[in-house]
Amino acid sequence: MRSMVQTNKKTSQAKSTEDIAMNRNVLVVGGGWAGIKAACELAGLGYRAILVDDSTGLGGEASFDHFVSSNGDKLSTLLDSINAHQAVEILLSTRLVSLTGVPGDFRIRLQQYDEVFERSVGAVIVALEADPVSLAGEYGLQRAANVLSQSDIESVLAAAPEDRKLLGNGFKDIVFVVGLHEEENPLVMERTIRSALEIQVSDGCQATVLVNNVKLAEDGLEALYKRSRETGVLYFKLREKSQITQNGSNLRINFFDTVLHHNVELTPDVLVVEEAFRPHPQATRLAQVLGIDTDSEGFLQPDNVHFLPVRTNREGIYVIGSARQPCNLMHGWTDVENTVLEIRQLLGKGKKRVPAEKVKVHRGKCTLCLTCVRVCPHNAISWDNRAVISTVACQGCGICAGECPMDAIQLVDYSDDQIEAQISASMDKEADGPRILVFCCQNSAYEAAQMAQVFQMSAPDGLQTIKVPCAGKVDVDYILKAFRAGADGVLVLACHKDNCKSQQGNTFAGWRVEDARRLLSEIGMEEERLDFATIASNMPVEFVRITRQMEDKLRQLGPSRIRRQAAA
Amino acid sequence: MSLNVEEKLPNPKAGSVLVIGGGIAGLTVAWELARLDVDVDLVEKSSFLGGYAIQFCCKAADECQKCGACSVEKRLLEVIQEPRITVHLKSQLKEISPNGRFSYTISHHPLCVDPQRCTNCGLCLEKCPVPGAIVRGYSKNNMPLYAVDEAKCLYFRDGSCRLCQKLCPEKAIDLDQEPHRISKEADAVVVASGFQAFDPVHRPRYGYGINRNLITALDLERMLREKGEVVRPSDNKVPEKIAFIQCVGSRDHQLRHGFCSQVCCGYAMRMAEALHYRHPEIEVAIFYMDLQNCGKNFSRFYETCKDHIRFVRFMPGDIFQGEEDQLVLCYANEQDGHAMRETFDLVVLSVGIMPGASNVGLADMLNINLDKHGFLASADSLDDTSTSQPGVFLAGTAQGPKDIADSMAQAGRAARKVAHHLRAIDGSNEQENFSG
Repeated sequence: MRSMVQTNKKTSQAKSTEDIAMNRNVLVVGGGWAGIKAACELAGLGYRAILVDDSTGLGGEASFDHFVSSNGDKLSTLLDSINAHQAVEILLSTRLVSLTGVPGDFRIRLQQYDEVFERSVGAVIVALEADPVSLAGEYGLQRAANVLSQSDIESVLAAAPEDRKLLGNGFKDIVFVVGLHEEENPLVMERTIRSALEIQVSDGCQATVLVNNVKLAEDGLEALYKRSRETGVLYFKLREKSQITQNGSNLRINFFDTVLHHNVELTPDVLVVEEAFRPHPQATRLAQVLGIDTDSEGFLQPDNVHFLPVRTNREGIYVIGSARQPCNLMHGWTDVENTVLEIRQLLGKGKKRVPAEKVKVHRGKCTLCLTCVRVCPHNAISWDNRAVISTVACQGCGICAGECPMDAIQLVDYSDDQIEAQISASMDKEADGPRILVFCCQNSAYEAAQMAQVFQMSAPDGLQTIKVPCAGKVDVDYILKAFRAGADGVLVLACHKDNCKSQQGNTFAGWRVEDARRLLSEIGMEEERLDFATIASNMPVEFVRITRQMEDKLRQLGPSRIRRQAAA
Repeated sequence: MSLNVEEKLPNPKAGSVLVIGGGIAGLTVAWELARLDVDVDLVEKSSFLGGYAIQFCCKAADECQKCGACSVEKRLLEVIQEPRITVHLKSQLKEISPNGRFSYTISHHPLCVDPQRCTNCGLCLEKCPVPGAIVRGYSKNNMPLYAVDEAKCLYFRDGSCRLCQKLCPEKAIDLDQEPHRISKEADAVVVASGFQAFDPVHRPRYGYGINRNLITALDLERMLREKGEVVRPSDNKVPEKIAFIQCVGSRDHQLRHGFCSQVCCGYAMRMAEALHYRHPEIEVAIFYMDLQNCGKNFSRFYETCKDHIRFVRFMPGDIFQGEEDQLVLCYANEQDGHAMRETFDLVVLSVGIMPGASNVGLADMLNINLDKHGFLASADSLDDTSTSQPGVFLAGTAQGPKDIADSMAQAGRAARKVAHHLRAIDGSNEQENFSG
């Protein structure tokens, strides 16, 4: 069988490496239980943790989290141990104001009251808690003595049943509204179920829950939900927000019940409105300071599976617990352990072996236009009298090299010369059908191509692949070079949107293909000869389909003009 | 107290670890431990690594839908390239004595296919007279890519057929290999033995197995992975109407399955979106009780889905046979309660995550507990990797339902707990040496 996949020739022999010093201090931002645990675990391994929080105390009640409220003893032991730990520096009323440098050697500035001071750290963990926000306004309600937020009812229920006098105040019917304004999550649902259950069982009140989807995708929640129903808590599942009238202290709720199929009116004594978990108020500012991307809701991790569980677009900066996604303490502590693993890999025993050179910046060519600084998705580039690329921070995607207008940046393993030589070599081979050159991202298309080969799927005969570290490395020059070298068609295959390890590599590749298509049509070549598509590593079938489609198209178009001219 | 990291990080030669199960959780524990310079024996009962998750398809539409299937592919590649991990395929734990160090015995069934010689030509699969007796892995990283299923192979039944062995041009197949046992020692054990998908035969009113166009979501995952498209099993045509039925086996108190499988809404919605992207003409409906979240910003994802998918809040109790191998679902219209009959070309059962078949045996051998549903119980309310036995840890769906991302995260935590345990026993050894 013809070899469809061409492996990149090892051009450099034994790579030279160097050992660089890694600072063993770690900054932990956020003094909630996840931050405390992280500092404690790091200190236990011999790192030094700097734990900062802009409030005046550590821990906090987090009464919304059952894992916190039911593990008070363990948590207070943890708090004692961290206060006593020599390897943990606790800075309260303190904010992170700036961060520069590279992983293993970040310079940070912290502000405590009016004083600003510097520290050096090797890595940063963001452990901000999520912010519970009442949705009363979204339900058109004013807070009142009988309109409570979920936090309010939890404070009431924190007292012993005999002390809290719900019934004594004449409260009998208590209605919870949850998940009717937006899709909630198991954390929100659990709070509602627990409060409703408690009121039903201990206070002799009737608890009724108006909900859309009961979110139970968490260990033990189905059982809790069942128990609450068995004790008499009523659940009405609605499609949309019920009509709620708040007239002084009179509350009236009207909705259509889809089980009974008629309109229902409730006049509760108390209405409890859900709280949604939003990003911490400091999250946006911190994302800017740290140079990390957020998701569409503002949580501190892009929505990209390659960053899971705790990574960000920037090496050495990790996000845990509710800083990245609202979660309970159990999951938050799972994140802590995963972050410790990452930090161990990064900082090790204070020394890291790295390739002596990953990327070369040509001093004479660099004009300090700083395009590379702007496009680097990993924040790996700084500058002095030319662009300086951190070997530790750089993930080797090559987006900078592709964008550099002076071609001043060369990846050691994927230099322009190497890739162009591969293009020429691959186009020198004989082929029966149309000659197709495919630039394959090593993370997706290249794997899919190999998989298609192993599974004996019949890809086009004239197919040649060139492996690139990221589709964002594919230069317009490579595409033009491929046509010059005799390709009838060129494909650039990238990862799907939101699946690029370098976030934007696929976007850059798509733009460059657009550019190159315009150039092709300017010189009178059919722009259909060039295409861009997205694919994943486990899609060999799609790899064959995409390349076959290109082959069919090229059969209709015939050999490229350049090849026809060369033949003539 | 010393702050010297050198002293505190685990000694590279601290020990070796037994990981039971080669699914995504087991792969991740093994890989994380190897990154900590710990040697790992990874024991997998089937012929391939990757468990269920390696069979899953990419569900991307225009953009990635974050199902995580590609992460499994990546992790598998990392594991097979990692020299510290010794993989034992077609192997099962037979005995283990938890006495400080764990002495254990695993039984190896012969692979029959020599990975060094096999060139993946596929001739064995093509020529084998019994469907299913030669099976192929799902990923190029499943090596060897072909395996013999002893339960179906005629040679293992009565010795009557050796066709594959005779035909193999590379002489890579040897059916006469004997099963054997290996005894080893480990300093810690991680149970990552996974789950079993609910078998819809236990919900007889669906009639699974009668109409070929009634399939499980797992069947659909495999179909999309292998063919890249959806077809009706009865006629290989692209179906016009597809229904997903959620909570098949999960949240089913009649069957005493009082738990949510946590993954089915996510995979059903993602697959439905992938189907819509690939075949925009297909009508898809999802029948459900309560939609559970998946991934980040579920609200937005759900809104997008509503543009292409019909969501029906009703759980059909029966599935009836229609004409031309179609299937009929009966349900009540949510608005007026009227009974509806609707015909579909393909019905997909969103089967849930059930406790693994080996849980009882493993719990017994390792002297750890099962929870009331039959998953392996964790012993610490704040750490779901812990068990009642020192040195024994849990990862992945052996402990309870979870998706790929959560399995990987929990596996990372388990690896950390193992490292911690190794350091602790290493420290005590040092003390013993010191006092001796």
